[in-house]
Amino acid sequence: MAWPTDIVVKDQGRTLEIAFDDGVTVSLTSERLRVESPSAEVQGHAPSQKRKVLGKENVRIVDIEPIGNYAIRIVFDDGHNTGLYAWDYLRKLAS
Amino acid sequence: MASRDEVMAALAKVAGPDGKTPLPDSGAVSGLTVRDGKVFLAIVVNPAEAKAMEPMRARAEAAIKAVPGVTGAVVTLTAEAARAVSGAAPGPGHAHGGGQAQRGGRAAQPIPGVKHIIAVASGKGGVGKSTVACNLAVGLAKLGLKIGVLDADLFGPSMPKLFGLSAKPDVAPDSQKLVPLEAYGVKVMSIGFLIDEGAPVVWRGPMVMSALTQLLREVAWGDLDVLVVDMPPGTGDTQLTLAQNVPLSGAVIVSTPQDLALIDARRGIAMFKQVQVPLLGIVENMSYFLCPHCGGRTEVFSHAGAQREAEKLGVPFLGEVPLDIAIRVNSDEGRPVVAYLADSAHAGAFLEIARRVAETLETGAPGAKPAPRIRFL
Repeated sequence: MAWPTDIVVKDQGRTLEIAFDDGVTVSLTSERLRVESPSAEVQGHAPSQKRKVLGKENVRIVDIEPIGNYAIRIVFDDGHNTGLYAWDYLRKLAS
Repeated sequence: MASRDEVMAALAKVAGPDGKTPLPDSGAVSGLTVRDGKVFLAIVVNPAEAKAMEPMRARAEAAIKAVPGVTGAVVTLTAEAARAVSGAAPGPGHAHGGGQAQRGGRAAQPIPGVKHIIAVASGKGGVGKSTVACNLAVGLAKLGLKIGVLDADLFGPSMPKLFGLSAKPDVAPDSQKLVPLEAYGVKVMSIGFLIDEGAPVVWRGPMVMSALTQLLREVAWGDLDVLVVDMPPGTGDTQLTLAQNVPLSGAVIVSTPQDLALIDARRGIAMFKQVQVPLLGIVENMSYFLCPHCGGRTEVFSHAGAQREAEKLGVPFLGEVPLDIAIRVNSDEGRPVVAYLADSAHAGAFLEIARRVAETLETGAPGAKPAPRIRFL
């Protein structure tokens, strides 16, 4: 599994750039990360419960916390902070 | 009835932690609850300055009490930054400031001074996790490493008994942290020191999470090479909290050789893999029984099951420990066999396990990778 080596918040919190140890660097917008948050607040507890999150074009990332060895918690300026983004999930979002 | 806005307006007259910025603009207000005229306010301060912040706390409390309709006010100083960015702050302008202030928050940060944190886990209960954790810790200390043991089995703490410790821990006057007790060259902290023996801990998950976080971070561990965490059985709140709160260097899985235990050991291993915690290896406990009367060998729980499992999963096999009355008797007396029967075969088995764990930590557990750097441009 590809492992991230660098996680960089750019453009005043609008872009997240992740470099993986297999040489691949991906770039994700804060909007994409917000509407695809792995949190149950967005995904529900089954695919049928997934919620559409709208109007997040201008959302910004204000903080990133490491979660153990496997994920980051992204804090957005709309208050959403319950998504834990595992390494493989970040990679999947970018593909 | 007083409103949030009225309370915030009153607090605008109180200077925040820096002595000038009004509290509502200082980003230090981490929580405000107004309910039936009672107001609860939490202000984030640097724990080192807690004493100096007391007058500010008192002024804030007085200011809130002066708001018409307020019947009671409790203002507390907290070292913990608020998680919700916009929830606690009054407007979007503050929200951003609040977010900036908590960057690189405390969660999942290493514990200062502690080089490695390892978990001793099993999946199944009753396989001898705590006995292995205790003897592994004493063994690591005998190798010359600085070792601590955190008893994370909050519902069934075993470390007080295994180390023969029972005193109430002191609180360090400068840091306000609990001072771990010491035995056999190992620093030990357990919820068992804080409650009476025989008193049950009856808690739901959130209490477990907060108690575990306190045992990790509100204890004066000092400089340690390895902190050994004795886990409760299972794959629940404690395991997930530990895996999320600190970067673990690895996990040691303890199992008896029987299938019934191995099934759960497999679950434990799968859980650690899922959260990217490297496996230091598997210990087979109660591996065989040598009859003290006739010398015959009985494989009570079968034999070599854990070793086969380790090979199958590609995880290092750390060694086998026999089922032996000397281990049980001395454990119940608070005398780890590694220290008390240092020349015995059992002590040798535990020491060998400790040596392998120390070696693996030195070279890095298989699959262990450094944490990514997180930066804000």
